[in-house]
Amino acid sequence: MITVALAGNPNTGKTSLFNTLTSSYEYVGNWAGVTVEKKVGTLTNKQGQLIDLPGIYSLSPLSRDEGVTTSYLLDESPSMLMNVVDASQLERNLHLTVQLLEYGAPVVVALNMIDVAESRGLHIDERELANQLGAEVVPVIARTGRGCDELVRLTKPEHRTNRLLQPRRFEYGSLLERAISELETKLPADAGPKRWLALQFLEGNILVLQKLRQLVDPAWLQLFYDATELQLKQQTGAKDMSQYIRSQRAEIIDGWLQRSLRETHKTGRTLTERIDDIVTNKFLGIPIFLVFMFLTFKLTFDWIGTPLSDELDALLNGPVKDGIGSLLDTVGAAAFIKSVILEGIIGGVGGVLVFVPQIFILFLIISFIEDSGYMARIATVMDRLMEGVGLNGKAFIPMIIGFGCNVPGIMAARTIEQPKERLLTILLTPLMSCSARLSVYSLFVGTFFKSNQALIVLSLYVLGVVAALVLAKLFSSTIVKGESSLFVIELPPYRIPQWRTLMRSTWEKGKGFVRKAGTFIFGGSVVIWLLGYTGPSGWNVSMDESFLKAIGSVIAPLFAPIGFGNWQAGAALLTGFLAKEVVVSTMGIIYAAPDDAGLSGMITQFFSPLQAYSFMVFILLYVPCLATVGVIRKETGSSLWTWFSVGYALVVAYVIALAVYGTCKALGFQ
Amino acid sequence: MKLTDIMAGTNVKITDLSTMNDLVRRRLNDFGIMEGSVISLRKLLPFSGPCTIEAKGQWIAIRRKEANCIQVEAV
Repeated sequence: MITVALAGNPNTGKTSLFNTLTSSYEYVGNWAGVTVEKKVGTLTNKQGQLIDLPGIYSLSPLSRDEGVTTSYLLDESPSMLMNVVDASQLERNLHLTVQLLEYGAPVVVALNMIDVAESRGLHIDERELANQLGAEVVPVIARTGRGCDELVRLTKPEHRTNRLLQPRRFEYGSLLERAISELETKLPADAGPKRWLALQFLEGNILVLQKLRQLVDPAWLQLFYDATELQLKQQTGAKDMSQYIRSQRAEIIDGWLQRSLRETHKTGRTLTERIDDIVTNKFLGIPIFLVFMFLTFKLTFDWIGTPLSDELDALLNGPVKDGIGSLLDTVGAAAFIKSVILEGIIGGVGGVLVFVPQIFILFLIISFIEDSGYMARIATVMDRLMEGVGLNGKAFIPMIIGFGCNVPGIMAARTIEQPKERLLTILLTPLMSCSARLSVYSLFVGTFFKSNQALIVLSLYVLGVVAALVLAKLFSSTIVKGESSLFVIELPPYRIPQWRTLMRSTWEKGKGFVRKAGTFIFGGSVVIWLLGYTGPSGWNVSMDESFLKAIGSVIAPLFAPIGFGNWQAGAALLTGFLAKEVVVSTMGIIYAAPDDAGLSGMITQFFSPLQAYSFMVFILLYVPCLATVGVIRKETGSSLWTWFSVGYALVVAYVIALAVYGTCKALGFQ
Repeated sequence: MKLTDIMAGTNVKITDLSTMNDLVRRRLNDFGIMEGSVISLRKLLPFSGPCTIEAKGQWIAIRRKEANCIQVEAV
């Protein structure tokens, strides 16, 4: 089984290509030492594996995550490297190509987005380019699949004998060549591709440095590096070694392009430019973004999400429930079992699954924003604001994802290179009102704020954001004092995302939520139902005599100042730690509501509109759900910060709910 | 003169990047932006926000603080 490693710059349509070339794929855990997931796919011809390496500009990493590709090349031996190159950005992309060619494994260049290049007046002679590179160059359009069959064909072993099997050799001037030879002699025979190792070392690749230190005396290496760099600076006037190497490569690449690239005159301003003029406009930028988010929520709740949800709800509580009910009757199940299944399990899990349509739509829109290129603009437009509170514009993206689900949002914080900034983003993302909280809002706004649903919900989302900004400022000036930031964002040309990539991306994000519903909420629902079914006096007690009431009553008084000092609210909030949607399930069980409409009716007896709002504010802020806490622990690697994230959230939730309830009551609201 | 002093859209050549934050400079190098490169300023976002520069057909956004470190000359 051959292994092909897929490498290339970010924004080259690599994911699109991966999807087109593989018939199936899976995540096989993380790459060693980082929190980047390893994605392995099976080629469509079923004769090999395709490993997706993270997008990088150069093998020399600036952060641990960027080191994945170099680590892979150091530790494993791929049969072949497939290098995705953006045809409209040839010069920059080829710098990575050179580094990959020097590695020694056979390289196939997938020249992607040739249609975009053509439309920009860039005409590439791929045969000439292949001659210059000494590797196969296949023009492809990953979006449509054009050229992909040829790529898969080239992965077969019989085609690899036609290409040079020795590492491609590029010249770097006599001084460096002497240095490279000197270093090569010091390396043991089994060290790997020596010239590649030497060059990467001289370029300043930290991972290669670490590897070489195990093979060669570190002190000698340091002296050697410094001496070589000094000589280089004196002889050539270069600023530093890595820049010199880069400019040598640039000359070589330039030669290639002169022979294989023809540029015809560009026709005025592109569509991307015109869109950017509006979207990153001084005055319109942020408002446009807010409108965009508002429309997103409208689509998710009012226009598509909720109607679909309602259909699903009717299905679950109608035919499905009845069907299972009669099935249980037929097999003569005990009343207890029947109760557990119909009210505990179906009631609980079902009450949550009905929100799946809304969640998938939200994830779809987020995926669209990512793939179209708009995300980069958002990060840029919001950066000034983020910078003001000690965050990075890139932190905005995890937070946006956090609106769908905190779990993938926190995982997305991995794109932030600086550790302190990343920690801060992780701590604050739970304040982004996730889709689970949405199910609670849906219930309450549907009951109490029917005519202003979107507005009330928007206010909660905004409250979360404002709280996050304030706390960001607070934390970054006190406990998470930062180091220098790295904000360099490429703004790729806008493009319409490929449908298949969007679907896969949406499914991957949505799957997490569905899995959560399956495990935590399922188990939790049964436990809660059980707590409501049993009590100090035995089985099948009425709600008032159950354990649930007992526990709820103990904590209820704590919530009296913020408007909901009843045991039902207390118990529901407690169970909400499992997963925020469970609040709805619990209430469904506590109030013995037959369905959503019934539940709506019941809660009007226990909450006033103001109390409902206060309750929602508390839900918004109080603690991250169990799954989120788990991810925080994993991503920060620190129990201390995990406990902190739980603790501060509780405090903030209480204080703000108190403020909201108190002031509104004083102002005479109900 | 500084990059942030020039008129948007005009091509300039970079003369010095040494005062810049090391990480940012290395990342810019990856984009082919270094001493001797020809770039142009596209946009300055309000309130001392980021600026977008154009270099070899790429559009890159960096913070104002870093942009102020880019010394350029007319070309």
